[in-house]
Amino acid sequence: MDDDLQKFEAELKALRPAVPSRELMGALERRLAPRRMGGLFWLGLPAAAAACLLLVLHFRPEPAANRQPPATASMTETAPALKPVAADDVLVDTQDEGFVTLADGTQARRTRQSFVDTITWEDPATHASLRWSVPREEVNVLPVNFQ
Amino acid sequence: MTLRGKTTPLARMDDAPNDDSWKNWFQRYGPRLLLCARQWTRSLADAEDVVQDAFIRFWRRQRGLGGEPLPLLLTSIRRAAFDRARREQRRAAREQETEAGESAPLFEPLAVGDERRMAVEAALRRLPAEQREVLALKIWSNLTFEEIGGQLEISPNTAASRYRYALAALRKELTPDFCHG
Repeated sequence: MDDDLQKFEAELKALRPAVPSRELMGALERRLAPRRMGGLFWLGLPAAAAACLLLVLHFRPEPAANRQPPATASMTETAPALKPVAADDVLVDTQDEGFVTLADGTQARRTRQSFVDTITWEDPATHASLRWSVPREEVNVLPVNFQ
Repeated sequence: MTLRGKTTPLARMDDAPNDDSWKNWFQRYGPRLLLCARQWTRSLADAEDVVQDAFIRFWRRQRGLGGEPLPLLLTSIRRAAFDRARREQRRAAREQETEAGESAPLFEPLAVGDERRMAVEAALRRLPAEQREVLALKIWSNLTFEEIGGQLEISPNTAASRYRYALAALRKELTPDFCHG
């Protein structure tokens, strides 16, 4: 590329893309605000803790003396340098579960959305790729105001 | 077998903000994302919607994946923009929105010599879309030709050619005064 073109390129780089509108920032702020959890969430915590404890007890690691050297050690060294190149989520179902009462007595609307998340990794050197899809449920509890 | 890619911080190493909050990150990278989104959407409002959805998705679920976040986000934005375009085609044409999107400035006004900025914008809008998108990804998002090729599903050489054509076409259209500062 000649000098003139490089100077011109530098001129273009000096231009700053227009900042997003206040509306966009406001929308992001609302959607990324910490979510309030309803009473059901706190009721579910002891059950989740008990389930975790059961899992830990069930899958206790073997004593060190019985442990074999990891067979995957050499594979790890030669593992492809995969990088995430695409991530999609597809909404497959939405259910409005109606109104619920939060811990502080306020009313909220609960919706349950089912997604399939797909993430694709690729090794830039070999173009080997790995695609991973997993179902996911998202429960949103949005406070409502009846004024 | 370890399938994790090399983990890198949230933004590129050379210009990563120290603060982990989404606002700092978005204030820094949001304008670049929006500029690219506008190359793939019909209006500013559509571009902002697409950026919003892609960013929410990224921030909630994808930022822990490792790798470079900007190309990942741009892929997400581009796909969302194309999905939206397909939906739009099935609806009535939204000519008014298109006009509004075209009139909204692509860049921040310059304190001195803003007419040059307007001239660049006008020239940019006249470029073929395939050249314009490469220019936006290269100049204002700092992607490599290899990354641009990955984004647009073209070879790095094709990306580089389009970039050179775009630069040459812009320079030809703009006054010599601008080109030489």
